[in-house]
Amino acid sequence: MSSPKRSDEPIWWALFSAGGVCFAVFLPGLILALGLLWPLGLLNSAWLQHDKILTLLQSGYGVTGLAFAAAVICLPLFHAAHRIHHGLHDLKFGFSQASKLLCYGLALLLSLLALVLVVAV
Amino acid sequence: MSEYQLLLQRYDPEHDNEPRQQRFTVQGEHTTSVLDALLYVQQQLDPTLGLRWSCRMAICGSCGIMVNGIPKLGCKTFLRDYHAEILIEPLAHFAVEKDLIVDMTQFLAHLSAVKPYLINDYSGTQPHKQTPAQLAKYQQFSNCINCGLCYSACPQFGLNPEFLGPAAITLAQRYNLDSRDNGKAARMPQLNAKNGAWGCTFVGFCSDVCPKQLDPAAAVNQAKVESAKDFIISMFKP
Amino acid sequence: MSTPVSARKPYQPKLGRSWWLKHNYYRLYMLREATVLPLLFFLGCLLYGLYCLTQGAAHWQSFQLFMQQGWVIALNLLAFAASLFHAKTFFALFPRVMPLAPAWLMISGQWLATLLVAAGLLLLFGGWL
Ligand code: SF4
Ligand code: FES
Repeated sequence: MSSPKRSDEPIWWALFSAGGVCFAVFLPGLILALGLLWPLGLLNSAWLQHDKILTLLQSGYGVTGLAFAAAVICLPLFHAAHRIHHGLHDLKFGFSQASKLLCYGLALLLSLLALVLVVAV
Repeated sequence: MSEYQLLLQRYDPEHDNEPRQQRFTVQGEHTTSVLDALLYVQQQLDPTLGLRWSCRMAICGSCGIMVNGIPKLGCKTFLRDYHAEILIEPLAHFAVEKDLIVDMTQFLAHLSAVKPYLINDYSGTQPHKQTPAQLAKYQQFSNCINCGLCYSACPQFGLNPEFLGPAAITLAQRYNLDSRDNGKAARMPQLNAKNGAWGCTFVGFCSDVCPKQLDPAAAVNQAKVESAKDFIISMFKP
Repeated sequence: MSTPVSARKPYQPKLGRSWWLKHNYYRLYMLREATVLPLLFFLGCLLYGLYCLTQGAAHWQSFQLFMQQGWVIALNLLAFAASLFHAKTFFALFPRVMPLAPAWLMISGQWLATLLVAAGLLLLFGGWL
């Protein structure tokens, strides 16, 4: 009996898992701060001013900004892409190759956009 | 004694094109299992009822059915835990042969695909010894009775019958973790495939329904970790 | 002599698209998978915020106005709830995939990490740091 083809899932699963940790550990606090309390006017330290945020992101030769983008944008994007790709299969919209290309392709594009933006600030 | 209504799914391949339901009234006391009730129906009310069973003590794994939509062993499920009406169907996701009897061929093929036996070149006549710690590594995963309940709980198997499924992957882990076994390399190709460990999305219901508490979902996801390691190693091999 | 004809006619049930509505366990599974939808909205906000940062202080002001709209706050409230539900499920699965320590210890350790990150961010942006 010939053995079946090796799946490339380990790559996507590793990104999914890393993204899942980031989503669970970093995102609750970040959404609470930037998505809820700041817009409601409950947080207004100088660190939320335009120039201060720039200093924050550029600190450590820009590594802070890149790490920030990777941890709270890129990896969570791949986490979401993985769940949507498999969710489509669960709902029997399983054009597996097409949905895979679309989901991970978009995650990759948006991740690159995030990295370009933090470098540009 | 209390009265229960059993709503049985019936299917007679010689007359029916699809399953239908039939209602039976049975009496039950504290110790009446669903299997007891089904056997009462078969022996006293309708001898044409088809069902599988053997040990009546949750060890042979042949009496799996859906009780109110949840996979259960008929002999380990009791009328007392239900209200007056109980819906009984054959195990989900499998092809129905007759009434409550399903075709397990695919399930058995998946089990044997992972080479579920010790592979080694040990040929001594002395017992092949193992320490308690070595035993503990796989013991939990070795209690499977091949009842197939986990396959009926698994939507990924329902969506894609090629998926190896919880029990088979758990069995592969059981042998891969055994200190007396050297067959991991022969088993990994099955686990590495898209229908191997990677067919799972950790729904987790299989672990809920397993009558032997193997936690097959954990085994499958530990197999993903093993497959990911195997993936990395393969990148460094020519 | 004719060969005997098999009376077999197995009935193969098909799993419909709505299988996950049939049982509470499956509904919770789908809810877990769906937590990424509000997450995507918040990630979109972050990307928009980064873009505004690159465009100068005035744009940053308009980003704040964008985030203050009722519907944006409502969706981010949903994203916050989703992140907590995701955390609850993810933390519980982790010790089963990698049993490195007793499950209760791994689960509480992960919650502690989430709590510390949240506290750090609130201290920083609240002006106490
Ligand atoms: S893992 Fe559990 S549910 Fe699955 S076949 Fe074995 S005993 Fe049955
Ligand atoms: S009859 Fe043997 S497991 Fe139920």
